Amino acid sequence: MIYLTNCRTSQPAPEAIEAMLPYLKEKFYFPGNFIKSGTEAKQDLEKFQNVISTSINANSTEIHFTNSGTSANNIAIKGYISANATRGTHIIVSVIDYPDLLANAAFFENSGFSVTYISADRDGFINLEELKDAIQTDTIFFMTTLGNHTTGTIQPLKKIREILDSADHKIAMHVDACEAYGRIPIDVNELGIDLMSISAHKIHGPQGVGALYQRKGIKIGQVNHGVSRIDNHETGGISMASIAGFSKAVELISANFDEYSQKIRDLSNYLLEQIEAKISHTMLNGPRGEKRAPHNINISFDFIEGEAITVMLDFYDIAVATGSACASQGLKANYIMMALGRTHEQSHGSIKFTLSRYNTFEEIDITVEKLAEIVQELRRRSPLYNEEN
Amino acid sequence: MQYSQKVLDHFMKPHNVGKLKNPDGQATEGSPACGDQVSIDIIVNEKTHIIEEIKFQSYGCASNIATGSIITEMAKGKTIEEAKNIGWKEAAEELDGLPPVKMHCSVLAVDTLRNAIKDYELKHGLAEADKFSKEMIVEELKKVIYPQVGEDIVSLKMVKYVGFENGVAIIDVDIPSFDTYRDNVAEEIEEHLEKFPEIKEVKITM
Repeated sequence: MIYLTNCRTSQPAPEAIEAMLPYLKEKFYFPGNFIKSGTEAKQDLEKFQNVISTSINANSTEIHFTNSGTSANNIAIKGYISANATRGTHIIVSVIDYPDLLANAAFFENSGFSVTYISADRDGFINLEELKDAIQTDTIFFMTTLGNHTTGTIQPLKKIREILDSADHKIAMHVDACEAYGRIPIDVNELGIDLMSISAHKIHGPQGVGALYQRKGIKIGQVNHGVSRIDNHETGGISMASIAGFSKAVELISANFDEYSQKIRDLSNYLLEQIEAKISHTMLNGPRGEKRAPHNINISFDFIEGEAITVMLDFYDIAVATGSACASQGLKANYIMMALGRTHEQSHGSIKFTLSRYNTFEEIDITVEKLAEIVQELRRRSPLYNEEN
Repeated sequence: MQYSQKVLDHFMKPHNVGKLKNPDGQATEGSPACGDQVSIDIIVNEKTHIIEEIKFQSYGCASNIATGSIITEMAKGKTIEEAKNIGWKEAAEELDGLPPVKMHCSVLAVDTLRNAIKDYELKHGLAEADKFSKEMIVEELKKVIYPQVGEDIVSLKMVKYVGFENGVAIIDVDIPSFDTYRDNVAEEIEEHLEKFPEIKEVKITM
């Protein structure tokens, strides 16, 4: 299998799996106090928190493990807004954000909060002028997706922070960094991030574990109620094995960050270069270069539909994703592509490749070779295409 | 959810792909905006009214291409009367079934075939153009598939009211506000009713 859909989930690193095993066997304990089984687990947990916090220049006490990136988003958004609703009831998000953020915005809108949805330009950068204009005296919360999950666009968080700070009251910034974390450097202090969600399974860690960064001094209300095994954010039992695997995955990336991110960028650049050289009538969605997350290449192929491309590539054991309505849950054109001014056809014909350090140049060569054949064949079948195109 | 082997076979190696020179009947249905469009060309024996040649082209997903392939296979060698009677469920069954969410592809393929035959009939004085009526709106709504179950919205009794007055078609559909396919059903209704020049506006209440 040539796996080019690492934004969906990624292959766990063998080292991460290895690191999990003791916690599934002899060290199966939950953290606790006074007795060895609990205190040892607690020490290990603190070690894992430290690995994650170091990777984003935070303190280990600011890291809270969760059951997923989505859970971290829910705890951050619902927790912050509920704890700060007495200060104001206005929230800002952009129309191209990750579904977790938009679904939470809709939840608060239905609960009587007001939400401003700011637009983005053709490359997926949110409109900073609109952001400035959107700020009100009762704005308490801004949230965005650091590396856009469809176009890879990296939002200028530093500039956004400056705009938020121009208000005469505190506006918290929550960042969904599940796509960007481990692929671009993130320094929560330099970027002025208050809350941030990350996920293990997108960076070669195990599925079922994420983390929330919560800046010291930022108060959030309790979202999940019940027994506390680690803290009051993600209540209930949580997998120490998964946390150990997550930590190992981060350790590997931190130790080889420049090498890994350069390799992924080289692979992506090669993929883009080869597609543009070998296939006509294509369009890159999202920006070129450094302002794009290194693992993401999203291309629209004119005259043909994306689900057909993905099913045909699957026949050759090549896994990619599409923005086509035909492959979506509600049979709708991709909301990000539409918000960025693409036509329905460009959305339906878009293919998203998300690469990892485990991909090879040889895999890219095979993918482009098959893709060129598939595009040619599907265009031959398409009533929208003729040779003169 | 996955495609049957037969769908995959017809998708990977579709039959009758292409266009015909000087076809006797031709139709193009669907739209790129909705993600699927099918064209069918036919050549019909004037004496026997048998479809002797048939080709299709498809802009769409794997099942759209597979249904184009199967419908042209099923129609080839049949009289136009026989071919008109091929239903979308029959075409889907011929492919060993389609996922409910893809059933609209079969409806589109059947509709395109029937319209290509209609085109032939009109050109040869075998039929008259349909006179627009409210019943035609209902017939058209029978082509709108509720993707959750793969049945049309009329058979499922989701259509509560159909009205037509002064160029405005009023359609009342029973579908919950949280339904994943709500927007899709509305878009499909609009797309299907677009073809009637008599309808200037479609008002859908849900």
